[in-house]
Amino acid sequence: MRLQLVAAALLVSATAFADGDLSMRGVYYKERSTRVMSPMLDGLFEVGARGLVNAHLLVDAITSASAGSGAVNTKPFTEQRYEAGLGYTQELDGPKGSIIDRVRLGGEGRASTESDYRSYSIAARAEADLAQKNATVGLGGSYSADRADASGSQSPLGGIMLLCKGDTSATSSSCPLDLYNVFATASQIAGKNTVLGASYDLSYLDGYQSNPYRQVPVPALATFVPERHPFYRTRQSVAGSVRHYVEKSQTTFIAAYRYYWDDWHIHAHTPELRIVQEVGLHADASVRYRYYRQTAAFFWREFYPDPTTLAQPYVTADPKMGAFDGHVMEAKLGVFGEAFDLTGRWAGARFEGILEYVIQHNSFGNAVVAHVALTLPFEY
Amino acid sequence: MRVVYTQSRRARQEGCYGRAAVKSLVSVLFIAVMGSGCVTVKAHQRGNLAKRAMTEDRDVGELRFSEHARGSREGATGGTGQPGGGCGCN
Repeated sequence: MRLQLVAAALLVSATAFADGDLSMRGVYYKERSTRVMSPMLDGLFEVGARGLVNAHLLVDAITSASAGSGAVNTKPFTEQRYEAGLGYTQELDGPKGSIIDRVRLGGEGRASTESDYRSYSIAARAEADLAQKNATVGLGGSYSADRADASGSQSPLGGIMLLCKGDTSATSSSCPLDLYNVFATASQIAGKNTVLGASYDLSYLDGYQSNPYRQVPVPALATFVPERHPFYRTRQSVAGSVRHYVEKSQTTFIAAYRYYWDDWHIHAHTPELRIVQEVGLHADASVRYRYYRQTAAFFWREFYPDPTTLAQPYVTADPKMGAFDGHVMEAKLGVFGEAFDLTGRWAGARFEGILEYVIQHNSFGNAVVAHVALTLPFEY
Repeated sequence: MRVVYTQSRRARQEGCYGRAAVKSLVSVLFIAVMGSGCVTVKAHQRGNLAKRAMTEDRDVGELRFSEHARGSREGATGGTGQPGGGCGCN
């Protein structure tokens, strides 16, 4: 979670609401061959005058026919992914006006587990206000230790064995993946109604990055072979955004653009536009449009017509490694309890509904996403 | 409709477009930041900047799910300043 959000939440909860927020959200995701239901719980708790704890719990219940993602010879499956995270942010208390007094430090740990994939990550970041709080700069990094296996394919006769980094044959039951990430962010107030933002992100992945179930079709041999991704990947992205508030109509326009590139030769462009309209004093409605386009990884093919190409070290038919584009269209409505004449802590409660339609020009097909959420402020 | 590209050529083109995009983005941000360096907005003038839509209009849970879903369906993730979670995409 970005420190800006933490700082904003700290400010809001300290002045307008209470000492914490509890947010309950349910998400339904449906595409041609995959359905996900995800209940989640987020909490923000003030600790002392300058500390803030954030925590979350979630479950992803995934039902998939597998074929849509390129996996073959597997039955439809249902599995649960559990994730928990805990973070802490501290505003430093230095001499008034000193640089130390303008710094916030934060750390977070996160664990995620499902039947065939486990991930444990830690993250740290620092953020400072500059130029009379007209600018904010942030730096951060994270490390994640992941491990994948193919337990979903196990049988009494044996299952899929994996080719880990450094192995000469596929003999391992599970493989590790290490992820390192650093990022820098900056925001600048450009006027009474305008804020600019920018970020840079660099990740390095070292280890097993294939999907153990996904296979590559070789029609000439009427067979499939396991996909093989490189064991190293360097990913980078830059992003910029502009937020502008139009006082007369009480409308906020948010334009953002992100460019991504990596050493697998994937380049991606993601422009996005959001318009948030205040509706009276206690509600807001918004629409969002996002366009996404990427090129293919250098080793991707939809299928491999020539069997000799299988001699190359890396093969994949993963739809998300191919060239495609897509669109996201979203409508959102948020209403505070006060709009329904609720009183007490319920007056500050926020109800939210989101409906999203995702167009994906690849074999995943289009998707529908729906959210319902309730955020309740509280004191303790 | 599937979009099919000639890979190496496309990647080269995207590389050129990408470098141009990065240069453009950096230039725009540099000009905007340098230009806005002259702007000092006092605390009492920041009422509109404190509005929900001007700070973060998307909740952390909404963002987390969106990032995770896009990460399992698109080849380009990251750039959000957040550590990753589990794959959830096998």
